[in-house]
Amino acid sequence: METRSMPAALESLAEIRRFVKEAAERARIEDSRSYQLQLAVDEIATNIILYGYQDAGEGAVISVSSEANGDALVITLKDQSPPFDPRAMQVPEATELAKPLEERKIGGLGIFLAIQGVDRFEYRHEDGSNLNIFEVRSGHG
Amino acid sequence: MGLNILVTQGSDEVIVKLSGELDAAVAPRLKETVEKAAEAKPKRLVFDVSELEFMASAGLRVLIFAKQKMGGGVSLYMIGSHGPVLNTLTMSGFHHSVILQDTYKPVD
Repeated sequence: METRSMPAALESLAEIRRFVKEAAERARIEDSRSYQLQLAVDEIATNIILYGYQDAGEGAVISVSSEANGDALVITLKDQSPPFDPRAMQVPEATELAKPLEERKIGGLGIFLAIQGVDRFEYRHEDGSNLNIFEVRSGHG
Repeated sequence: MGLNILVTQGSDEVIVKLSGELDAAVAPRLKETVEKAAEAKPKRLVFDVSELEFMASAGLRVLIFAKQKMGGGVSLYMIGSHGPVLNTLTMSGFHHSVILQDTYKPVD
């Protein structure tokens, strides 16, 4: 398992994506699935930084880790912002997604894209930390 | 890598060429670009995304902002979207509201 910690700032997003991309290359995940995984992790990390940590100031940290597990790659985001389960967030339904943009509500799209884009998404709160867990499998894509 | 934004003012349109990665860190810069473009009151707002390598939902929100800021009479074009960026646009239903083209050709 490999872990990297960085400041919980939007400027860290590019580094988080790079970490995920490199882990996906090592796990031989095909490019389109690697992209979906990078997008999913980016969206949840963005949420944590903007909303979870909004009052945390400097010193707030987000960490990302990767673990290969057979033909699966598991990426975990860990942070110490207040507990938040993305699965509890209302995501846009098909009728909302078909609406013209001028009638669209702004929220929920990121979490929708995150959860849709991976084979498994899981959330746990453990020992004061949020764990957002993403899994993609290689091969039968 | 970041995001590069290149704005060209046409007679009826503003063309915004994007290259690099569009995430939440740089989306506010694109939002400012859209605000400035709206001042010219163009008929069309054209995003050339043929060299855009990554787009998060923060980018989609800028498109929603553009449509809501400029009004229903202004058409949004996305030029050269392909691969995962196109996939994100269709998954999010944006192909219903945005004109997707390989090369820019006004149709309204």
